[in-house]
Amino acid sequence: MLLAVLIANSEGNILVERFNGVPAEERLHWRSFLVKLGADNLRGVKNEELLVANHKSVYIVYTVLGDVSIFVVGKDEYDELACKCLIQLLLLYRPCNNNTMTVLLNALKDVCGKPPTERLFLDKYGKICLCLDEIVWKGLLENTDKDRIKRLIRLKPPTEF
Amino acid sequence: MADSSGTTLMDLITSDGSSSKPPSASSTTAPPPIDSAAMTAGPPVPMVVDKKSKKGTLMQIQSDTISAAKAAFNPVRANIMTQKQKKKPVSYAQLARSIHELAATSDQKSSQRQLVHHVFPKLAVYNSVDPSLAPSLLMLDQQCEDRTVLRYVYYYLARILSDSGSQGVSPGGGIPTPNWDALADIDAGGGVTRADVVPRVVERLTSESLNEDVEFHPRRLQALKALTYAPSSNSEILSKLYEIVFSILDKVGEPQKRKKGIFGNKGGDKEAGIKSLFQLATLTCFEKTPLDPGNPAFLHRAVQGVLFSDPVAVRHSLEILSELATKDPYAVAMALGKHAQPGGALQDVLHLNDVLARVALAKLCHTVSRARALDERPDVKSQFNSVLYQLLLDPSERVCFEAILCVLGKFDNSERTEERAAGWYRLSREILKLPDSPSVKDLTSEEKDTVQPKGKKDKSSKIRRPQPLIKLVMRRLESSFRSFSRPVLHAAARVVQEMGKSRAASFALGQYIDEGLEINAFSENNDSYDADVNPTAPSEGIRRVPSMSSGMGPKDTIASLLASLMEVVRTTVACECVYVRAMVIKALIWMQSPHESFDELESIIASELSDPSWPATLLNDILLTLHARFKATPDMAVTLLEIARIFATKVPGKIDADVLQLLWKTCLVGAGPDGKHTALEAVTIVLDLPPPQPGSILGLTSIDKVSASDPKSALALQRLVQAAVWFLGENANYAASEYAWESATPPGTALMMLDADKMVAAASSRNPTLAGALTRLQRCAFSGSWEIRIIAAQALTTMAIRSGEPYRLQIYEFLHTLAQGGVQSQFSDMHTSNGEDQGASGTGLGSLISPMLKVLDEMYSAQDELIKEMRNHDNAKKEWTDEELKKLYETHERLLNLVSLFCYVPRAKYLPLGPTRYLLFSTYALPFNVTKSISSIILFTIRDDNVYALLVPDLIYETTKTKSPEPDALDDDLVNFWASSLGDDGAPAMNRVNEFLAGAGTDAPDVEEENIISRPSMSYDDMWAKTLLETTEMEEYDARSSGSSSPDSIGSVETSISSHFGGMNYPSLFSSKPSTYGSSQPKEKQGGSRYSPYEGLGSPIREEPPPYSSPEHQRYESFENPLAGPGSNSYDERRPSSGAPQFGTALYDFTAGGDDELNLTAGEELEIEDEVDGWFYVKKKRPGRDGKMAGLVPVLYVSQS
Repeated sequence: MLLAVLIANSEGNILVERFNGVPAEERLHWRSFLVKLGADNLRGVKNEELLVANHKSVYIVYTVLGDVSIFVVGKDEYDELACKCLIQLLLLYRPCNNNTMTVLLNALKDVCGKPPTERLFLDKYGKICLCLDEIVWKGLLENTDKDRIKRLIRLKPPTEF
Repeated sequence: MADSSGTTLMDLITSDGSSSKPPSASSTTAPPPIDSAAMTAGPPVPMVVDKKSKKGTLMQIQSDTISAAKAAFNPVRANIMTQKQKKKPVSYAQLARSIHELAATSDQKSSQRQLVHHVFPKLAVYNSVDPSLAPSLLMLDQQCEDRTVLRYVYYYLARILSDSGSQGVSPGGGIPTPNWDALADIDAGGGVTRADVVPRVVERLTSESLNEDVEFHPRRLQALKALTYAPSSNSEILSKLYEIVFSILDKVGEPQKRKKGIFGNKGGDKEAGIKSLFQLATLTCFEKTPLDPGNPAFLHRAVQGVLFSDPVAVRHSLEILSELATKDPYAVAMALGKHAQPGGALQDVLHLNDVLARVALAKLCHTVSRARALDERPDVKSQFNSVLYQLLLDPSERVCFEAILCVLGKFDNSERTEERAAGWYRLSREILKLPDSPSVKDLTSEEKDTVQPKGKKDKSSKIRRPQPLIKLVMRRLESSFRSFSRPVLHAAARVVQEMGKSRAASFALGQYIDEGLEINAFSENNDSYDADVNPTAPSEGIRRVPSMSSGMGPKDTIASLLASLMEVVRTTVACECVYVRAMVIKALIWMQSPHESFDELESIIASELSDPSWPATLLNDILLTLHARFKATPDMAVTLLEIARIFATKVPGKIDADVLQLLWKTCLVGAGPDGKHTALEAVTIVLDLPPPQPGSILGLTSIDKVSASDPKSALALQRLVQAAVWFLGENANYAASEYAWESATPPGTALMMLDADKMVAAASSRNPTLAGALTRLQRCAFSGSWEIRIIAAQALTTMAIRSGEPYRLQIYEFLHTLAQGGVQSQFSDMHTSNGEDQGASGTGLGSLISPMLKVLDEMYSAQDELIKEMRNHDNAKKEWTDEELKKLYETHERLLNLVSLFCYVPRAKYLPLGPTRYLLFSTYALPFNVTKSISSIILFTIRDDNVYALLVPDLIYETTKTKSPEPDALDDDLVNFWASSLGDDGAPAMNRVNEFLAGAGTDAPDVEEENIISRPSMSYDDMWAKTLLETTEMEEYDARSSGSSSPDSIGSVETSISSHFGGMNYPSLFSSKPSTYGSSQPKEKQGGSRYSPYEGLGSPIREEPPPYSSPEHQRYESFENPLAGPGSNSYDERRPSSGAPQFGTALYDFTAGGDDELNLTAGEELEIEDEVDGWFYVKKKRPGRDGKMAGLVPVLYVSQS
């Protein structure tokens, strides 16, 4: 289960958050925990360098991209590697062959065209939300292929025919 | 949205891009409140007439809202635009109004553009929308052609449908999210609930998802997807969903079956569209179904899905299959049938470009190949096994690691030692044979494209040699450890940790795998074994040649592979991320074998801990890992204690004293008779450390130096020392195997040697462990801070009460001087002044010690009294009368009660009057020899009322017991001997006593000594240790509570037996041959487990029918607490509870407010362990979301059943 996907700006304001299976009262803890984690560790970290943390059996992968930092929290089958895949997808590395965080990062870059400044991110806000909607479906990683996501956002069939 | 600076996300989104600063909070935080009066009062202006008929209410609401918008903003059009130009944040209400308006004009390009570019993106900020938007959204859905608009519409419809969506939408409609102040206002005015709109939305989406128009397919997909967001509790929607899904599957599924090997096979438009739909439908099944293993339709569909061309669809069907396989592996394996064979569909999945599909495949293969149900079909199992092993070669770490974990037997969170051990066996023994299938070539070419380092170097070579799994895995892990990516490092370390667990499990089960064996050699030898397992491919092994391709030479042994892996793991400690380092350390701890030197590990940990960046939680996590490691391999107790000591000295401020104590305790008990001394030394080394010197932070890397440079950690160190002192007091006797009631020293010898110096010398030579502990405690009683001194005094008292002579006397003298304070000056050199007032009376402990001294005083004076009495009787040559004996007995009871106030002693065996008491009781009980039951009744009535309460169960207990084993248990000869020697013989009893005390040769001591050897005290320890080892951390509380109450009650039972049948029981108590005491012996032994707060989930105790908590114990409680002082919180945790487990159900959801509390979900079943001040300590059947099994919950949240 991907417990949370959270995107914050450099000041720790949360821009996007998607929680799955996290009760409302725990979300506050997660928010502050993640934002603090980012504030503690993301200073001077290169773009797209992936950092990892764990809390009991929950894995956290996070990184910074332009002005925004991205956190992915997963557990069980969504271990650190799966989270990594998601971020990398948002980061638009290569076609995601193995990781979860990739998905997110790929998509982010894809939507914004380049490493997003906060402004750019906010301008593309709606699209990013749709994108997330295609990538994470009820806490499960759904579409990982960049083109597929693009097509789905435009309400086209997932594959060319 | 949660934010710190006071600006909302909406502020950010609407703020000017060029200005770096967000607009000031004052101008933005409060969106203009909507005038609800205007809303309700505004004249309804129906702007839109929907083609479909709508419910009147909805129409009304919609027009209300729109009119409200009109009333609020006179230039209705472009209110967004004006807002935008002014760079002001838009309120939710404004957005909602815009949607209503723009929906009306959705056919115009400009409104579409505005929707796509301004309204919808901004609305997304809110994460969910209120139900009153639904009519407009549906209208857009029907009328609008623009695909982007439609995509957004589905997005929002899904959000309306989901009731526990991403942003805390509360179920049942009403106010969707707490963030929506503006929305709340609207709802207060309009009051549209989800219940009103959901049926309409569902209806619309259903009809769309059933539309078979080819052009409509993408919309079908989205409609279906949106439908799945509906709450799964809604059975109506759910059944509708099933209907749709199965109707689609019926149309789509069959034609697919004919096609096979459809990679990259592009069909016609229609087919592809249907395929996608099928994929989605499969997913929907998977998502929404509480899987029904009995339903063959699911299985059928899922198996079909494996053949499918869309990788996502294949993934989902594999996930369904692996889920089904956990329930009915046989059916799944049969249904998959030939797909699993070489060249079958599962082999194709190996090359599927979807990571998660391959992960699901690994799980499926693991489940099937381990299934007991398939034991008689080894061929099927081996097929799945071979697929699983091939996944080890996967280019993706994600898949490879999953496969390794599966091979290791770590599948879900249930840790089964056998499975783990078998996993290690598999990993170290089995061999990967690649089937000759054409698809392998694809694999190689595919892998060349990937940048991932490959674990298998001979992959590209022409001849594929079978490879030992261990080699593959090791090389793969090594290359992963060279990765720069932290997640990869973390995951690799985790895999190594799991490997260590499996290895430990294998050791624990006594499976000896010769790690020095050459892999290639034994893989050759192992052909026969393989042939058994893999009858389908017996000839494969013949082609095997010693693998030279690895470049590691022919001398690969498991040990050498492991060594080289561990070398790489160790270097990973250099990673800058503490989480990775923590995982690496855990992996090292798990991979540490009990026979190897742990110096390297120790120094790694020591230098790691000097790093201030370690968070406390992580350190405690590692401590718990030590604990788990210990439970897996009890042999490592001393090693682990050494490691734990590093934690105690290096980072006292960060670790939890309770966790550490738990570790100490388990290790001490588990260390076995030989290791106990070492274990205790390892614990108490904390006390020997010089107090932290402020300012001198030199030599941090030395293990034996305390590093507590800041006040906080100095304080924590203090707490730790307190814990250690308390621990020492509680456990020294155990560690030293020195108990007053089963002393290895002949009882009473101390009375002969009252000279303190000699006594100490004798004592320390006899029992260095105890003497060492005493010395340390004595020093602590002088030189610590006052909290430590108090606890040290208490610990000494505990030891005085529990130890036999001469230790008791030694401590007595020491306490005496301590109380007098006369010797303080003498010790003042040792006394490190910390600037505090030492108190009025000497050491300041006078008032505290005096009750302790009083107990000892009473004990000694009663003993003197007894001896005097005995002498009198001897001199007068008169018999002991019943009266006198009764008085003696009462004194005995009184002293026992008194002693019980200070620490636990087994009442049945403890003799406050000294060992001589037995002899009198033997004579006392003799006349009642015939009518035991009657005598017990009489005696019970003498006792106070509280004890009387125990009478009835006792009697039952008594009678059953006395009937069978007890008479045999009597060593009649001995009793008669004593009786005669006292009464008839005429020899002065005092002489007897003296002889007895001097250890001179009467029969009795001989018997006794002989039997001391046969006394099963070792088995006692073993039993104790065993129960301890079986407890988990989670059961800690449980253990405490049962440890505190039940043994005590047993103690009382035994007391009554022993005191009322003292004579009969004398031989068994004092010289107890295991056989003589019969069934009660183990129980009584179990009673000893009260010594520590942690251990002893003794099952024998549980079986004990009367779960009464003894009144003595309660008194002890109330008495102890004020005395206990601030430091001995562990005392407080011994709470009385009923021994029998109680069950209950959670009435409401409960969120833990602290670490020791437990989250509850309403309806969960719980086992109630303990009640404390309005809190239950409960255990769950399954771990909760947060992984916790047990904790405190308010009593009112639980209904007891």
